[in-house]
Amino acid sequence: MSKVYNWQLGREMEYPYDAAFPDRQFAFVFNLNRCIGCQSCTMACKSTWTFSKGQEHMWWNNVETKPYGGYPHHWDVKLLSLLEQSNPGGQTWNGQPADVKAPYGQFKGRTVFEAATTHISPEGAQRALGYLPTDEEWASPNRFEDNPSGSEKGHRGQLAFSSGANTPQHKTWFFYLARLCNHCSYPACLAACPRNAIYKRPEDGIVLVDQERCRGYRKCMEACPYKKTLYRGTTRTSEKCIGCFPRVEGRDPDGGGIPMQTRCMAACVGHIRLQGLVQMNADGSWKEDRQHPLYYLVHVAKVALPLYPQFGTEPNGYYIPPRWVPRPYLRQMFGPGVDAAVERYSNPDRELLAVLQLFGKDARMCFRYEIKEGPKVFENSIRGRKFELFDDTVIGYGADGTKIIETKVEEPLHVRPSQHANSI
Amino acid sequence: MQLLLDDDLVEGATFLCATRRHDIPSTSIRRFHQSREKAYSFLDPDERQEAFARVHQEFFQEWGLRAALDSGLARFQNLQQHLMAAAFRKARVRTEEGADLHVNPDARRRAIVALLPERMASTDRLDPFLNHELQHVSDMVDPAFEYDAEGVSAGASPSQQRLVRERYRLIWDVTIDGRLGRCGFATVATEAERSAEFERAFGFLADRSDRFVQLWEGDHPTHTEVLSLARDPRGFSQTRQIEPGAPCPLCGFATFQWIRAADISAVVLGRIRKDFKEWHEDEALCARCAEMYEATAMEGLPTTIEL
Repeated sequence: MSKVYNWQLGREMEYPYDAAFPDRQFAFVFNLNRCIGCQSCTMACKSTWTFSKGQEHMWWNNVETKPYGGYPHHWDVKLLSLLEQSNPGGQTWNGQPADVKAPYGQFKGRTVFEAATTHISPEGAQRALGYLPTDEEWASPNRFEDNPSGSEKGHRGQLAFSSGANTPQHKTWFFYLARLCNHCSYPACLAACPRNAIYKRPEDGIVLVDQERCRGYRKCMEACPYKKTLYRGTTRTSEKCIGCFPRVEGRDPDGGGIPMQTRCMAACVGHIRLQGLVQMNADGSWKEDRQHPLYYLVHVAKVALPLYPQFGTEPNGYYIPPRWVPRPYLRQMFGPGVDAAVERYSNPDRELLAVLQLFGKDARMCFRYEIKEGPKVFENSIRGRKFELFDDTVIGYGADGTKIIETKVEEPLHVRPSQHANSI
Repeated sequence: MQLLLDDDLVEGATFLCATRRHDIPSTSIRRFHQSREKAYSFLDPDERQEAFARVHQEFFQEWGLRAALDSGLARFQNLQQHLMAAAFRKARVRTEEGADLHVNPDARRRAIVALLPERMASTDRLDPFLNHELQHVSDMVDPAFEYDAEGVSAGASPSQQRLVRERYRLIWDVTIDGRLGRCGFATVATEAERSAEFERAFGFLADRSDRFVQLWEGDHPTHTEVLSLARDPRGFSQTRQIEPGAPCPLCGFATFQWIRAADISAVVLGRIRKDFKEWHEDEALCARCAEMYEATAMEGLPTTIEL
């Protein structure tokens, strides 16, 4: 095992290989407050990459209803349980949040790599703690859709969940969690592969399975804590999200030669997704890039948090947590940065409101943004705080500096001319 | 009797055994993976498929999985005599698991057992399942049981068919697990578990505990006995009693709202007597039938429409 630095955990950790980072890393932010679970992303991915024989059960992108849903069933509950068994009561965070090297404090527990030595299978010790889901667990990918969790019990003659929607944290709640491969900085799938068939691309950090080398050991499926590698019975190889790399490379004709966001990002009707390529330091932390929208959301506003950072793979998918969900659940899922993130998102400042407008506005990747200040259009008091809305203009630029987005904070108002009244 | 194995089941079971069974020597597991790796070298899809099938069959045999199925079948002597083949196929989900009897047009019979590959990786999970499912097949081929697949759902509405099928399944399962337990064979559910299930399904029977004990400890029942208990557990068809849940003598649906003849007008009674000559006024009728006859008689409408 090598010692590598994991900035999401705020400490060094063990990993089977030495650290190696790409020039730019594929990363994305999902605003879970806006996801409506329409599965447009799921179908965009399915119809592009996994429509062939043997891929019927394969969903590289999926949207599951939390807390009960999961693809495969209970993937996160099982992983958390395995980690807890390996380190009872020890999976805790402490320490003060610091700069980009430890923004959430320090994780004191064990990662999937550190806990792996306790799990010995007939084939030897695991390289990353995990389990192989059964066929049954891969079935019904949208199980428990829209099933809420409630803390109230119903009584005869009285409606259950009568005050379920009380703010700020609902007593009756669920939310949609959209997931794809996180193209982790320390991929567990890569660590576990006995054939060295999985690699991380140096140009964009996308994690790929070499189909020529894969021999279907399914160690990647066992090791990936997010369960985002899948086995294809017809070819007897593992497959996973390829990050739509031809689009990321700028080879999609629609992009005019500049990098585009993946199919699932571009198809999102709820405009919850923003994907990009972030610059990396030699130690794996993010290079300061103040005007990059992802850098701003993750390291400046700190509203976007990694999914289960305690797993230790340093996932590059970030989520703006749903603000109505009870905090203990969110803390477990997104780490200790949740309270500050929800607070900030619930009381957004001028810049955050502007950057949030970039989500879903253009299929091309935004590498830099700037804001042109506009007039104040609204003033109010929300949850006891003064709130001001400015109709600022946010402009996004592509990889080559081309202006790709120009939009305003206030929703544009279109007045239908009288001659078109009642026409569609 | 021929033993037929589905390639998917064999592949899934051997792969899981390699990752889960601690009693298999590591050298054997290494040989298994090496053999699989060689199969990837076949570029022709059909040749590759055959190569994988050969590897998986070899280790299915070597790791005693085939022997486990053989010994399961050997516990039921009448299967050898009555079946042409026993086929085992992979089930993808637990609800797909089970045994069925298929009869060819030329009356040759074969049993098809669907099971999850995970069961094959653990004898603790395989043996009880095989005993239970093969006992079902054994009953089905036993002439004394007089099994009739059509009879289970004959002559009822879809909801009644479902109810009867579920009750039939439970009653049969209770007798099977009781018999297996007495023979010292492991099975899928304990007496307490089956008793709780019986309690849930037949909670309306006052003597349900006694009935359960009779089934659990009783002899081999016949298909007709199981079916009659499933269809009419309270024996209403024999007594024609006016009780909650008994079938209406007119429409045959179970009812909890009885209307006595004394509460019906003479005109309506006349219409009912005309349609149901064998109906006796002491029997009463359900509220739905009474309502329908009331409406049609008052309006002078026919009770049935000729198409």
